[in-house]
Amino acid sequence: MKKRLIALLMSTMMVGSVLMTGCSTVSTEEAGETSADAEDETTTDTFKGDGDKTINILLYMQEHEKKIYSGLIKDFVEEHKDEIKEVNFEVTTQDEYGTKMTANMTAGDMPDIFYVGPDSVRSYVDNGYVLPLDDYVDQETVDNLWPAIKSAYQYDGTQVGQGSLYCLPKDLSCFAFAYNKDLFDEAGLAYPDPENPYTYDEFLEVCKALTKDTDGDGEIDQWGVANADAFGMTPYIYSNGARFLNDDYTKVNITDNDAFKTAFQYYVDLTAKEGVTPSVEQDTALGGYQRWLDGQVGFYACGTWDVAAFMDDSTFPYNWDLCGWPVGPDGTKSTTWLGTVGYAVSAKTENKDLCTELIKKLSTDLEGQQAVSGETTGESLQLPNIMDYAKSTFKDKVADGTVPYASNIDVIYNYIEGSDKYDGIFSETTYTYNSEWMDVFLEGVPNVKNGTVSVDDYLKEVEPKMQEALDNAIELQNTSTND
Amino acid sequence: MSKTKNVVKTQLSPMAKREERWAWLFIAAPFIGFLLFMAYPIGFALLASGSKWTGVNSLIGNLCGFENFIDILTDPKFWKSMLTTIIYMIGIPLGMIFGLLIAMGMNRNLPGKRIMTTMYYVPVVSSLVAVAILWAWVFNFDYGLLNTIIKFLTGHHGPNWLGDEVWVKVAMIIFMTWKGLGTSIILYLAGLQNVPKDYYEAAEIDGATGWEKFRFITLPLISPVTFYILITSLIGGFQVFVEVQVMTTNGGTNYSAATIVYYLYDKAFSNGQLGYGCAVAVILAIIIFIITAINFKYQDKWVVTD
Repeated sequence: MKKRLIALLMSTMMVGSVLMTGCSTVSTEEAGETSADAEDETTTDTFKGDGDKTINILLYMQEHEKKIYSGLIKDFVEEHKDEIKEVNFEVTTQDEYGTKMTANMTAGDMPDIFYVGPDSVRSYVDNGYVLPLDDYVDQETVDNLWPAIKSAYQYDGTQVGQGSLYCLPKDLSCFAFAYNKDLFDEAGLAYPDPENPYTYDEFLEVCKALTKDTDGDGEIDQWGVANADAFGMTPYIYSNGARFLNDDYTKVNITDNDAFKTAFQYYVDLTAKEGVTPSVEQDTALGGYQRWLDGQVGFYACGTWDVAAFMDDSTFPYNWDLCGWPVGPDGTKSTTWLGTVGYAVSAKTENKDLCTELIKKLSTDLEGQQAVSGETTGESLQLPNIMDYAKSTFKDKVADGTVPYASNIDVIYNYIEGSDKYDGIFSETTYTYNSEWMDVFLEGVPNVKNGTVSVDDYLKEVEPKMQEALDNAIELQNTSTND
Repeated sequence: MSKTKNVVKTQLSPMAKREERWAWLFIAAPFIGFLLFMAYPIGFALLASGSKWTGVNSLIGNLCGFENFIDILTDPKFWKSMLTTIIYMIGIPLGMIFGLLIAMGMNRNLPGKRIMTTMYYVPVVSSLVAVAILWAWVFNFDYGLLNTIIKFLTGHHGPNWLGDEVWVKVAMIIFMTWKGLGTSIILYLAGLQNVPKDYYEAAEIDGATGWEKFRFITLPLISPVTFYILITSLIGGFQVFVEVQVMTTNGGTNYSAATIVYYLYDKAFSNGQLGYGCAVAVILAIIIFIITAINFKYQDKWVVTD
């Protein structure tokens, strides 16, 4: 009897503890453990004024960004100290952010200011979480934002890209391509032309010339390019004019899609057939990013957030510059993906005017933008959000060396604004409720790259699985939105 | 019934009544704690498991009955991660055997015994994340300690421990066995020290061999420890998550390293399917409940309690 009682008690406890791993609010034990390796924990800075209004902010950002934004918030509190009692500035990690927001929503305790990405504008608006900014932000400010950003945060209740504006951007980023000038010099190769991105064939030739055994031990130790599947594969595919999904993001379209097949085959062959990238095994040993920093690869992706690190000699002691991703035979423009996250104000905040003023300061204040883009700090964390500044003073400062930046900065502008040779789009996962369909695709890519599975077989095998995940995402999207 | 109640009440002195109020208060503290931190979350998770809840939308407005459960049980990824979870459990008997062997070695009065015990116990008290990162480097394909040794000894390059669909499971089992060894050793050591010496002496007089002593005295007498380790390892085995999250990318090539809890996390937090994640948790809880119940039911057959 006693034994049975102990058994029952023990089982109940175990069931309880397991059930709670599924519950967002109590899963902190495990979540806490996993985030222990993240560099920063959640921190809250409080700025006090003499007034009676309280504003709570929840964002994620890196330590050096936080320093700049804390300064802006401090100034803001100073400027409005008669109104503000305190501003609580809570900064967490990107991994933790979603969990924290979910907990806040479940508890009905939303911060006054938080991030919304273009992927969640619809569900946040439809569920009444965010305030439309039309009455608070003047037209001049709006007109001075990059067009790509504006359309990402506009929504009219049925379609994104038109209607009211719901966020001001924290940033607009771009995933450009970079090359190591020193390796080009050593190989006696001409630098890539930023005006004319390589074709697939040209790119392969250059990569072959850069791939070699430098120390003569019989093993290749320098490669043309390194590609991280999760980020660096889509530019090859987009640049062949191909997409994973159809135009309204409801169908996966990769098997009956020659442009896609050509692009994916080319991407895989760079590793499997041509060997101009580190092998799959080598890639698991040391990622492409490390190999790039180590001067082992000729080309590597360069996000706008990477620029500061690549310009820093202690991190990357090589000369480098920006160029375009190679263009496939079915494509017309070198195309990469853009990214952004925006500041939103809670629809339920009691301080609508103050909060919108504050996000204007964080997003478009000239001094703040001079800091984050590197003019005053010497470290470019992002492109300026203010278009006229980005195109005039900022470019001059890049040219005269005040802002350490790659000289072919126009590559990035071309991607962001589009040109006859360049185009930038938000990645397709931006438009779907989650990115599980993409994860499904990525899971098996190593097996194709190491030659275990052929491209045709893989696409045939994976397409129905991706479609299932996409259907699931659409269903979830529909539970979260009006239509 | 009410009569008895009255009788009891009239018998209480004012002081006893006051004490009774205090007693209620003392009982209330853990009880309220249980309601808030166990009953409410469990109830919430149960409710959410029947909803297409995403965290952003309304939980009640998207109730879907057993749809999540049907989807889970028909999802090949769920079964794949279930199988992987079970494969990882090969590490449990391995850990118990090694643990017992080392504990028996330590159960003699050797010099440096305490230092040895401490060394074996260090992994247990270390941060799981930290040691997982460490082992990810040990298993590294090109630069890892393990492959360096293999290359030195055999002249051939070792396997792609964390990238290959099969080897990643071997790597995980090695890691988990190493990580759990300290606990088994400490527990077995305590168990061994509780075995009365005169049993062995009596057996020796009867001419028992070393193996017979082990088989008929040691093993039965430490069976409660074995039982305890088995239960806790099985439950822990079903909850493996951190190792996979830290040591592999997206659950390994073709999801080959993913466990049930990783699947749960992936669904709930990477893909925003919180209701679905709760349903996975419910299924996992049921499985653990059944396995624990079976263990307790059959323990009479092999666990010696007296």
